[in-house]
Amino acid sequence: MTATEQRPRSDVPELAFTSMTAWLRDIAQDEPNRVGLREKVFGIWQETTYGEYWELVKTVGMALWALGVRPGDKVAIHSENRLAWVVSDLAVQGIQAVSVGLYSTNPAPEVHYLLNHSESKVLIAEDQEQVDKALAVRDHLPHLEKIIYLEPRGVRTYDDPVLMSWDVFLALGRQQLIESPGRFDELTDGIELDTTATIVYTSGTTGPPKGAMLTNRNLVWTAGRAIGVIAAEKITTARVELLSYLPLCHVFGRLYDLAFGIASRATVNFAESIDTVVADLAEIQPTYFPAPPRIWEKMSAAAQIRMADASPVKKALYRVFLKAGMWNADRILEKGSRGLLGNVVHGAGWLLVYRSLQKKLGMSRCLQAVSGAAPIAPEVLKFFMAVGVPIVEGWGMTETNALGTVNRPGRIKLGTIGEPLDGCELRIAGDGEILTRHPAVFKGYFKDPEATAEAIDDEGWFSTGDVGEWDGNHIRIIDRKKDIIITAGGKNVSPSELENLLKVSPFIKEAMVVGDRRKFVSALIGIEFDVVANWAQRKGITFTTYRDLSEKPEVTELIRKQVDRANEDLARVEQIKQFKLIPKELDHDQGELTATQKIKRKVLAEEFSDLIEGMYS
Amino acid sequence: MRGRPGLVTAYERDAAILPTTTQRVWFALFCLAAALLAAVAPDDLALRGASAAAAAVGAIGLNLVTGWAGQISLGHAFFLGIGAYTAAALGGEPGGPLIGLGLEMWIWLPAAGLVAALAGLVVAPIATRLRGLYLAFVTLGLVFIGEHIFREWDSLTGGIGVGRSAPKPIIFGYDLSREGNFLGITLSPEQQYFLFALVLLLVMGLLAKNLVRSRIGRAFSAIRDRDVAAEIMGIHLGRYKLIAFTVSSFYAGIAGALLWTFVGFIEPRSFSLTLSIVYIAMILVGGVASIAGSIMGAVFITFLPRIVDFFAPLVPFIEDSPTGGFLTSVQVEQILFGLLIVLFLIVEPLGLYGIWTRIRNYWKAWPFSY
Repeated sequence: MTATEQRPRSDVPELAFTSMTAWLRDIAQDEPNRVGLREKVFGIWQETTYGEYWELVKTVGMALWALGVRPGDKVAIHSENRLAWVVSDLAVQGIQAVSVGLYSTNPAPEVHYLLNHSESKVLIAEDQEQVDKALAVRDHLPHLEKIIYLEPRGVRTYDDPVLMSWDVFLALGRQQLIESPGRFDELTDGIELDTTATIVYTSGTTGPPKGAMLTNRNLVWTAGRAIGVIAAEKITTARVELLSYLPLCHVFGRLYDLAFGIASRATVNFAESIDTVVADLAEIQPTYFPAPPRIWEKMSAAAQIRMADASPVKKALYRVFLKAGMWNADRILEKGSRGLLGNVVHGAGWLLVYRSLQKKLGMSRCLQAVSGAAPIAPEVLKFFMAVGVPIVEGWGMTETNALGTVNRPGRIKLGTIGEPLDGCELRIAGDGEILTRHPAVFKGYFKDPEATAEAIDDEGWFSTGDVGEWDGNHIRIIDRKKDIIITAGGKNVSPSELENLLKVSPFIKEAMVVGDRRKFVSALIGIEFDVVANWAQRKGITFTTYRDLSEKPEVTELIRKQVDRANEDLARVEQIKQFKLIPKELDHDQGELTATQKIKRKVLAEEFSDLIEGMYS
Repeated sequence: MRGRPGLVTAYERDAAILPTTTQRVWFALFCLAAALLAAVAPDDLALRGASAAAAAVGAIGLNLVTGWAGQISLGHAFFLGIGAYTAAALGGEPGGPLIGLGLEMWIWLPAAGLVAALAGLVVAPIATRLRGLYLAFVTLGLVFIGEHIFREWDSLTGGIGVGRSAPKPIIFGYDLSREGNFLGITLSPEQQYFLFALVLLLVMGLLAKNLVRSRIGRAFSAIRDRDVAAEIMGIHLGRYKLIAFTVSSFYAGIAGALLWTFVGFIEPRSFSLTLSIVYIAMILVGGVASIAGSIMGAVFITFLPRIVDFFAPLVPFIEDSPTGGFLTSVQVEQILFGLLIVLFLIVEPLGLYGIWTRIRNYWKAWPFSY
């Protein structure tokens, strides 16, 4: 950790296009009939070919042009993932404007901050809910000129000239296309690599969100890398199916649904909503599947709970083959592959358990699953490896356009974030902070030159804020630089590692470890309501609400067991000596979580200060 | 979508009878197995198989009107009778004492269905005005009217205790009731009946399946679940009840014609209430509102006498002879019918098909249980 080490820089691949929009045009001309997007309407996956996709992008681009959007202007998109999202994003970039994504869960004050800070001229809002948020703060948004709404329900009756429906908007675009047919292509041809294409706001665990300006070079290079890294090492299939459910305003979602999707000429299927992801997964069976740890934890917990309810024969088979799978996972981790014997065992397990389990999980056709966006507990990864899902952990952040490191199949080291990607330079500074430099590192924070100067040095090295160490060729992350706890005894403790250990338990949804300048380490724990409720019903414990359930002494006892189990793997100083259950479900609306469901430590520490103090008195 | 059965991109696929390749292959194999069975089965079993297949057509008909459209009908025996006698009249020997036109099977079989359908069409308007118990009574009345007509119309039926012979199953000069030769395989008349009935069941079954997955079928289900709600949804009750009765009677007509052709002889007293109850037993035991269930029920009920005969010697108080003993095997059969209806209604309301669904779900949910 003390040594400064630098990894060699590999050849940077050439950029095939100057923008993602131009890349899309190339596909549309080459294979206009290839299916590019699917959206579920009335129970049917409606298909949009790449040809139609491109036509839509052109139409939306020209509609924006007609509304007066010019190069450099900002257009905000406030919607769940859907066809109009990706179309708008590429259309905005195509006319050299800048797209800004908002989370559909952003409450009105945050909407105000983001729209105001980004100086958005046009807002594309999904439905009444999002329109209302914008209208509530519109008087304080001097730059906002037009709001386009996608769903007319409820908005139809609004009598406000700032509003325009998606249909009228498209008609405007078609009109403009007829009047100046070549303009969109001219604009797209004129895109320069180093202009800003999109502003992605960081989740803001510590302060207000910062707007990372990503350039066309960042996006195109990322797309090239994504395909290079993920597909070249595995088999590139003729047809790639992706499920779009990660928020598109987050770089992880963009990486797959836009960058990788276009680069691999994939079919992107939009999940109906976040609640239907499990069902959508089973229908789509995606070829590549990215997910944050929260999703993986939930999927593994759900599988285990349903297994607990299964008939005896099924349960017994599952137990045997989970054990065999774990044994196989160890072999993969040690030797890089299962080997002959391992493959025979896996084959039997595949016939009896894994195959159908994978189908239920939606992973039966998955060539590569990736966990990213936050650190994941190794046990969760091992569970998926055991049932035959090829899963690896990767690392990246908004400022690096989600690129950084990834574990390579055959060279997986659990607990590490893998090896630097080709073309990504990585070094560890004297204080342990990871520095990186590559063509996908962002241009700077929008309207914040100070923070930009702090983050990127003169040689282009970006300070990630993560503290890590080399483990051979792999990198192990200790924690966020700002989050590391130093106990009163002077020991360094990584809270996220402890929290992940706790969250391995299906009963625990949220955990926040505290202990900075304290005698010992303790934790605030939020229960996973569904799972604990299921458990309580079996035990015959009656309860009413979340609060009531988490205040049951039996539940405290249950969580204590989970904490004790987690403590087994920890050194004495790191062990969680005390814990308290959070009496409510954490929520983005209340400002306790970020839009990506990360906990805001400061907010929680303040809100539950009495609980925390109670543990130390 | 290949390898992704859940990825449905068109309603045609969503409503397909056999949506996946796996299902198509299994269905083809199943048909092939049934055909092979027909070719090797001994004559008595082949005849029973043929009867079961023909009865299945009738059961599907009853299931359409009762299972799907929810219109309780006790009059199925009447329509079966109309089918049987239409066939006999059109296909019977001309010039004899009884009505007979000497036509071939390809005419009298569809005609049997059509005449029965016509009868259904006439009865249907009554059904549009009544429901539940009252409809049951009206259809019950139908059976008695039918019985009376069949008993008295001597020139058609031959009268009680006399009866008449069934029509000859001749299609374009080919007589099914004579030993035939196909690709070097000799088939007995019974085996040919079985094969013919299987093909017919396949066609009629697919047609029914197609009907119930369409707008008409959905309208039937809506009427069954709540006729008032269905009407509010824009379903013309009169029209759809009419369709239900007419189509159901058509199936009954075909089944009746075929069944008594296999038996070879038509007795006017056959078309009594008992026969209606046997068909209700078929759909209750097999599975209400299910084509596969109708077939299962028909097969089960048709083979029930065989099963009873097989076990009768093992039970001391059941006798083969009609006079001696505490119970005859025929009586046992009838008691079993009653018991089966009661048991299935209480224990397994979804019938044999429900049992099959449960087994299938066990494997479908693998490795979970739900």
